[in-house]
Amino acid sequence: MPKRARAVRWGVPIAAIAVVAGAVGAGPVIAAVQGDPVLPERTAQQLLADVGTRWKSGELPPMSGTIIETASLGVPGLSALTGEATGPVALLAGSHQVKIWYGSDSQIRLALPSHMSEHDLIVNGDQTWWWDSAANTATRIKTPPMPSEPALPPAVITPQEAAERALAAADHDTAVSVGNDATVAGRAAYELVLAPRAATSLVKDIRVAIDGETLIPLRVQVYAKGAAEPAFEVGFDSVTFSRPAPENFEFTPPAGAKVQDGEMPALDQDRAALREHAEDGELKTVGSGWTSVVVLPFATADLAEGEKQGHGPGLAVGAMADGVLKAAEPVSGAWGNGRLIRTKLVSALLTDDGRLIAGAVTPEVLYEAAGRK
Amino acid sequence: MSKVGPLGEGLSVSAGVQADSSAVSAGPRARSLSGDGPESPRGALAGVRAGVRLLRSEIGLTFRRPRNLALLGVLAVVPLVIGVAIRAAGDGADSFVGQVAGNGLVLTFAAFFVMLPLVLPLAVGVVAGDSIAGEAGLGTLRYLLTAPAGRTRLLALKYANVVVFAVAACALVAVSALVTGLVLFPVGPVTLLSGSTIPLAEGLLRIGLVALYAAAGMAALGALALAISTLTETSIGAIATTLVLVVVAQVLQAIPQLAVIEPYLLTSWWAGFDGALRDPVATDQMGQGLLVFAAYIVVCGSIAWARFTSRDITA
Amino acid sequence: MTTTIDAAGDAMTASPAGGPAIVTRGLTKRFRGGQIAVDHLDLTVPRGAVFGFLGPNGSGKTTTIRMLLGLVTPTSGSSSILGAASPVQALTRVGALVEGPAFYPYLSGAANLRRFDAADPSADPRTVGRRVAEALDRVGLAAAAKKRYRAYSLGMRQRLAIAATLLGPRELLVLDEPTNGLDPQGTREVRNLIKDVAAGGTTVFVSSHLLAEVEQMCTHIGVMSTGRLVAEGTLTELRSASVPRIRVETPDSSLAAAALTAFGLTNIIPAPGEVSAELGDALPERVTAALVREGIAVRGLQVVHPTLEDVFVHLTGEGFDVEA
Ligand SMILES: Nc1ncnc2c1ncn2[C@@H]1O[C@H](COP(=O)(O)OP(=O)(O)OP(=O)(O)O)[C@@H](O)[C@H]1O
Ligand SMILES: [Mg+2]
Repeated sequence: MPKRARAVRWGVPIAAIAVVAGAVGAGPVIAAVQGDPVLPERTAQQLLADVGTRWKSGELPPMSGTIIETASLGVPGLSALTGEATGPVALLAGSHQVKIWYGSDSQIRLALPSHMSEHDLIVNGDQTWWWDSAANTATRIKTPPMPSEPALPPAVITPQEAAERALAAADHDTAVSVGNDATVAGRAAYELVLAPRAATSLVKDIRVAIDGETLIPLRVQVYAKGAAEPAFEVGFDSVTFSRPAPENFEFTPPAGAKVQDGEMPALDQDRAALREHAEDGELKTVGSGWTSVVVLPFATADLAEGEKQGHGPGLAVGAMADGVLKAAEPVSGAWGNGRLIRTKLVSALLTDDGRLIAGAVTPEVLYEAAGRK
Repeated sequence: MSKVGPLGEGLSVSAGVQADSSAVSAGPRARSLSGDGPESPRGALAGVRAGVRLLRSEIGLTFRRPRNLALLGVLAVVPLVIGVAIRAAGDGADSFVGQVAGNGLVLTFAAFFVMLPLVLPLAVGVVAGDSIAGEAGLGTLRYLLTAPAGRTRLLALKYANVVVFAVAACALVAVSALVTGLVLFPVGPVTLLSGSTIPLAEGLLRIGLVALYAAAGMAALGALALAISTLTETSIGAIATTLVLVVVAQVLQAIPQLAVIEPYLLTSWWAGFDGALRDPVATDQMGQGLLVFAAYIVVCGSIAWARFTSRDITA
Repeated sequence: MTTTIDAAGDAMTASPAGGPAIVTRGLTKRFRGGQIAVDHLDLTVPRGAVFGFLGPNGSGKTTTIRMLLGLVTPTSGSSSILGAASPVQALTRVGALVEGPAFYPYLSGAANLRRFDAADPSADPRTVGRRVAEALDRVGLAAAAKKRYRAYSLGMRQRLAIAATLLGPRELLVLDEPTNGLDPQGTREVRNLIKDVAAGGTTVFVSSHLLAEVEQMCTHIGVMSTGRLVAEGTLTELRSASVPRIRVETPDSSLAAAALTAFGLTNIIPAPGEVSAELGDALPERVTAALVREGIAVRGLQVVHPTLEDVFVHLTGEGFDVEA
């Protein structure tokens, strides 16, 4: 009797653990029980057309929600970054949360929370603010976001933007189909599957989940070949389609904060630099579509300099590059000698003659590009 | 002295005699047992009253014990030290904590930021880790149980006492930081992490929110420590185990490669109190934190219960 | 060897007030190391009895008491106190002292008693002050009520533990070596206290090694040896069941032994200058006559009734070492 009584006693905590585990796994379980949501049939073409017309109107419905971005690119040394860097640079690795409030094209707020600090981008009418609580600095962005370019920092890719890019890539070298309907942020969604036809691409497919009701893209996943989990994923964790309260878009620099005028920090500068490179004819792309690779002049010494400058993101990028370089594997061929960095999704070749060649392709494509001097 | 012959068999006659004597002693002293069954409303009310009495005894013991008073003293002094240090260091208004110099209310948030990882868990871990193991070590546990306190009842009240202590500890930190902030620094509207500014009254409300969230996190730690406390008879062992777990969890949390397990660690959710400093309040993040705390309380509480109600009290 | 009692077999199911105060059936405790501390114990303590629970060190007395009070789960068998189905239901009517005193060192004696009173759900908080004062008074600690327990002497601690058992009206007192560490006055007081309490109708279950003490106050006795009950009964039963011996002082002990054998006595132990034998039903005067008839020089003759200690040692063995 005592033995049995004891067994019954211990059944209680076991049941409690089971209940908690069940609650943790409830999302997937409920989804599995419900099965795939059923939406009216739409072919890929119909879906693209509907989405196209929808987007032509320009305005998205007002909404707010939380976007989770997860990158597991498998870049060696990159994961060390998550612990240190905050703000946009940190988005390159690990899992991150971005909160979004969208009233209209002229009323947008993005918040990147981290422990005891927050970065905010607030667009309200003709004013754009970048707030960095850790530095207690409010930056008035001078250049208003160009219509052709998204207002968001590039690292913060909204589902809309990502879908736009993915759809733009859909031409003759892409197989476009509609997969099983998915559930994203509790909403039924179509899933558009874009698969490259080229065998040399490292990308298996890109899946874009499009809300069945509003046709807003809710999630984009990039799958590498031979991987069950997406290498990159950005999607809504929760979303509500109602107008956010107006005070979300109001920003007055708080008393005591540094106020400055400036550009978008960090990544915009990089982009400007890239553009410069391209204009100088230094940056070129070889190939087209999924198998296109980027070739740009690059010397490892540049990194060291970047590190010496020592301001926030530069430092982080330097540290990251250091880690990446350590993991590089020496290679050689008819094209010369260099070092190869392979990840699940991207390969990069650093040639000894000072070029960086990279793309979502197998190394052979890089070697070929390297041979074409 | 001479030896006596075998006696054992001779005694087997005792049966009849005993049956007799029990018959004699029966009857006249038939006492009515407690008139109210546990189901009757009056019995239930009396049960609650008795529970409150034992809880008050627990709380009295906790807050009169010199060691616990010393812990509370530390909790009260740390915000003061932080305040004085910031005052002495002068400026440095380029971060959130640096804002303290400009606004005394912010000292409360700074105090929780500094104390939540280790100092508060230390205080709560000591009281909760001691709760059962300490009584077992003193031997008082056997007298509480023969009083009879009832195992489930005693465990529940011990945990209630831990929760009271956790709330008191967090309230003490908040009040001490508030008073220090008021005395040492100017006070005004509070700038949140999101860059928006809220009036003083709302700032106080947010302080309350932070303190409550922190208390919930400490209550979850208390449940863990209570479960550990039922596993041993030395309170030092239970306290040390709890604190080692807290430290190890925070080390694991800092290793990026182990990011997968982070959401399951209790310690990683304590930091979620900063949700109260955003605009709007990050209810999703704090709500999830509270759910994690509740899960820890349920699981650890049931483990403590299973262990404590089936354990042999041999100390 | 153990006494088996069938008459009381259904005592466990008897009405609370009518049945025995304590019943155990096949009560067994095997500790995790494999050590059997209590081995199939069948014990019946009638109501109103002062039951002396005897046994050498390590014989399982404290373990039995722990099982009775619900502190330790038996490996097999069952026990019942005051007719209740589980110990907790009866414990408010039981005062218990288990293996010495244990209190909060940083609290005063009175505060310690209040603490344990608060743990008893049936205790009335309105009368706690009076009950604590009375209990302290009964054990002679009234003057030290405000003193911290840390500052108590060994005997004062023991007295406080006894006071704790007297906080409420009790139907059963379970006292594990209550006079441990007490001075002679204290021992006497405790003895009187137990007699007093018993006179009020309370059953007392007291474990002890002190045979003299048990002899003076107990109506019933149970003897434990290595986890087994080797004897159980009333004091008179135990005494009468033990056989008196005759001891003859004589210079010719071998002759005397032969004469006693011829007379039909058994268990004869010759020793230099004396010889002893089990007297049994034989009359001493007839034995004397027989010896004289044989011409043996009888210098002295004595009928020896065994003391409880003799009984105890006989039952539990002569060895000094505890059995492990
Ligand atoms: N917690 C325990 N674990 C293992 N064995 C134990 C435990 N408690 C007691 N024992 C063993 O059980 C046996 C009986 O112990 P118990 O304390 O009941 O003896 P006792 O009759 O009270 O002795 P004493 O007269 O010395 O108080 C001993 O052999 C002891 O070693
Ligand atoms: Mg003992």
